[in-house]
Amino acid sequence: MNQNHKPHKNRPPEPPQWAERLLTRMAAPHIRDEILGDLYELFQKRTLRYGVAKARVLYVLEMLLLLHPRLWRRQQQASSPLKQSVYSPPNPMTMLSNYVTIAWRKLKRHKAYTLINVVSLSLGIACAILIFTLVDYHLSFDTFHANQDRIYRIYTELHREKVVYSTGVPNPLGDAFRNGYDVADKVGRIAFLPKRVVSVSPEKKFEAELAFADPEFLDIFNFPLLKGNPQSALRERNTALITDRIARHYFGNEDPIGKLLHIDESLVVRVTGILQNPPATTDFRSEIYIPYSNLQEHSPWMVEKDWWLGFNKEMQCFIRLRPEVSPAMVESSVLPAIVNKYYDKENAEFFHFKLQPLSDVHFNPSLRGYTDKKNLWTFALIGLFLVVTACVNFVNLATAQALGRSREIGVRKALGSQRGALFWQFITETALITGFALIIALVLAYLALPFVNQWFDIELVLNPLGDGYLLAFLLALLLIVTFCSGAYPGLILARFQPVLALKGKLSQQSVGGFSLRKGLVVGQFAISQLLIVGTLVVTSQLRYSQQADMGFRKDAIVILPIPDNKKAKISTLKAQLSEQSGVQDVTFFDSPPASEAIGSTTFRFDSRPKEESFNISVKSADHQYIPTFKIPILAGRNLNPSDTIREYLLNETAVKALGLASLHEVIGKNAIINNQPGTIVGVMRDFHFKSFRAAIDPLCITTKGEVYNSCGIKVNPANLGPTLAGLEKSWKAIYPSFIYKYRFLDEEIERFYKLDNMLLRLIQLFAGIAIFVGCLGLYGLVSFMAAQKTKEIGVRKVLGASTSSILWLFGREFIRLLLIAFVLAAPLAWWVMNKWLTSFVYRIEPGAGIFGLTMLITFTVALLTVSFRSVKAALTNPIKTLRAE
Amino acid sequence: MKGTQLGEFEEIVLLAIARLYDDAYGVAVVEELSDRLERPMSLGVVHRTMQRLEEKGLVNSRFSEPIAERGGRSKRLFTVTMAGEQALREARRIRNELWDGIPKTAFDHLT
Repeated sequence: MNQNHKPHKNRPPEPPQWAERLLTRMAAPHIRDEILGDLYELFQKRTLRYGVAKARVLYVLEMLLLLHPRLWRRQQQASSPLKQSVYSPPNPMTMLSNYVTIAWRKLKRHKAYTLINVVSLSLGIACAILIFTLVDYHLSFDTFHANQDRIYRIYTELHREKVVYSTGVPNPLGDAFRNGYDVADKVGRIAFLPKRVVSVSPEKKFEAELAFADPEFLDIFNFPLLKGNPQSALRERNTALITDRIARHYFGNEDPIGKLLHIDESLVVRVTGILQNPPATTDFRSEIYIPYSNLQEHSPWMVEKDWWLGFNKEMQCFIRLRPEVSPAMVESSVLPAIVNKYYDKENAEFFHFKLQPLSDVHFNPSLRGYTDKKNLWTFALIGLFLVVTACVNFVNLATAQALGRSREIGVRKALGSQRGALFWQFITETALITGFALIIALVLAYLALPFVNQWFDIELVLNPLGDGYLLAFLLALLLIVTFCSGAYPGLILARFQPVLALKGKLSQQSVGGFSLRKGLVVGQFAISQLLIVGTLVVTSQLRYSQQADMGFRKDAIVILPIPDNKKAKISTLKAQLSEQSGVQDVTFFDSPPASEAIGSTTFRFDSRPKEESFNISVKSADHQYIPTFKIPILAGRNLNPSDTIREYLLNETAVKALGLASLHEVIGKNAIINNQPGTIVGVMRDFHFKSFRAAIDPLCITTKGEVYNSCGIKVNPANLGPTLAGLEKSWKAIYPSFIYKYRFLDEEIERFYKLDNMLLRLIQLFAGIAIFVGCLGLYGLVSFMAAQKTKEIGVRKVLGASTSSILWLFGREFIRLLLIAFVLAAPLAWWVMNKWLTSFVYRIEPGAGIFGLTMLITFTVALLTVSFRSVKAALTNPIKTLRAE
Repeated sequence: MKGTQLGEFEEIVLLAIARLYDDAYGVAVVEELSDRLERPMSLGVVHRTMQRLEEKGLVNSRFSEPIAERGGRSKRLFTVTMAGEQALREARRIRNELWDGIPKTAFDHLT
């Protein structure tokens, strides 16, 4: 043994503490002591032989060599071969098939239970599928372009008293941006011209969406050519690219290349390429693309001079930034530099250009995006609500039903079923129901899809096999619904005490969770009530918007387009129209009293030195406008028919904005509006010239024959058919090469609320489904209660209880739950609906009436459901129920 | 016989356990083998082999009383079972047969 080392007699050297502790943690319990002991002993021996230091190193080395799964593997797996051989290894497939068989039998036996669950789940899931498709559809807008995260639209912000947003930019901006700054790969200007008349031959005329675009447009966006040369596309003047759809429509099976198209009688273009039909999920709806350089001939007013002060919402500019350029840098230095370079000091303060990411184009309502993302999330939330309601039904019914299965559970447990096995058995049953429901839901969604497409005017497709997202969503839905609705009842079932269960001594109390079930019912009703309040508020607001007095006459007014506003043609048309018996008034104008979009311009009043800080909207119309639409004149007089002397009519708001006390003060004063000096001749009463979402802004009306594009005709509603035919005849005689189309003003106004109307219909539908599903659940619950209370009711009846008191037995519980639900739902609904209403400047107050009505509706529906079943229970002859005892 | 097939190292450890008879535990086996094989032996390897032998049913184990020299921990003492003995004999038999099969002249050319 080692002589030079003398360990202390009483205290032998210790191995490294940390290593021991580490081993203690890692080693499986059944070998821990043994290993630590062995290591300790070795350590002591080695200390004597090599000294403490080396022994410690060796200790750590030994410990490292011990690292092996066997070190921490638990004992179960190290059991003796004898134990393993007694049982055959478990076979999950047999077990599963047994579960399915049992579940199938169960579901067949309890047909009502199965039916209620399948119906409510499939309704909920069908809505969820539709909503998912809808949300997915909108989120996938314009996401198919290469490098789409680098594509931006330049838009204009006009900072005056209020900030005005426009999707358009001044015409020269695109060139200035392209040539002066090196931040973008591609800059593409595009001018959209909706609904232009395109003719193949004098007889074949169509209306089409037109766009004049720079060649770069096709580089930025992914619109591939089927035929034609992409290198030369949109470069050569007087050529056109048309979509495959239009090509087939115009030319059938003929080769369209080289064919001529007449655009609005002002331009002839030759087809040089066919574009692949754009997918439904794009906001670029144009079907015919013409080189931007041709815009000069077609609509010279759009590209007038090098005009930096004017912009048009349809004249847009898209750019693709270089990968290394940040949009923030472009916004903060490049675009302001352009403003400073091209505008004088005063205007540089007004004009601001910003970048809008392509992904925002579809979702920014202030820049003419289709819808706010908020709406989509609202829908997603409603979908979630519906699925939750259906799951709640399931949980309620399944827990209520759990008692009925106590014998089965007892026997299973006595035969050795583990909790886990029982739980999974129940989950299998749930999965079966959910699977059924999912299939039915898919069928329902398929059937409903055409209607949804019609309502929303979109092209949704439902193809679970081809759409990976949808498939994943369906699978996730299946799993989540199964677990959410199966887990709780499954746990309850698996928890039963076998002895109690077999003796039949389990009571509703021992099933437990009655308060949870009540809570779920309350939640369900709260959701329904929320949706009902939503429906009622949206309905009344829309009715208010559409039926309220807008300040002008809007019924029985036909609006015709004026494709050519030369004076001679207009007067001929007027003369011909006025001759007809059904026509009462005729007026020409550029926009009807209420229109969705109206520009605004600068206003300089009287001899004031500077322009006013507010902008004023301008409508151009002849002197018949005021009488035709019955707009009251409050001061001064109507416009003169003359077109040469500039006269202005202001509205009340404009006078107030000028800061004048009396309406009469403005009469006869000079005004420079849009750089055109004139005289103010009158003041008209305020009317809603935009939708009810917008406040009434300053407005003026003036005569300006060269911009009239429509004609308003007040007709006699009594004899409409012949009158309309007469209108068409006169119109066609004057404009033979154009397409005749008429609209009614009130329909036009309804279109303002198109999206809201769609929203309303959907909410109505969803509220209906939520209530229906809730009622199904309620019905199931009541019938279960009735079955439980059969004896109790029998005894009560024998002892003299009346039918009504027995009905009350059922009713009082549910009325209480409904009240609680209402208390929860009402404030939430009030808050949500007030938020929605803030988007209207002129709006209703969600008053007590709406909430009262909601209460009434839910109560009636719930009571009908409850009494449907409880009346039967109350009327049963007690002999029948008590005899069996 | 699958399952009781002895690996070479297993055979050596089993033999050591048999030799040590009543005092066959981790450290004793490690020391025995280090001495005999004249190479250092890690506790981990020996330990895992003994665990494997026990799983195969070739050895049994029991715990001793706690021992002060081991920091108050007990030893796990191994003894060879009947199956273990059988396996050893089987291995020996195979070796003997192999030895016997070597012709007398096989090593002649080496000398």
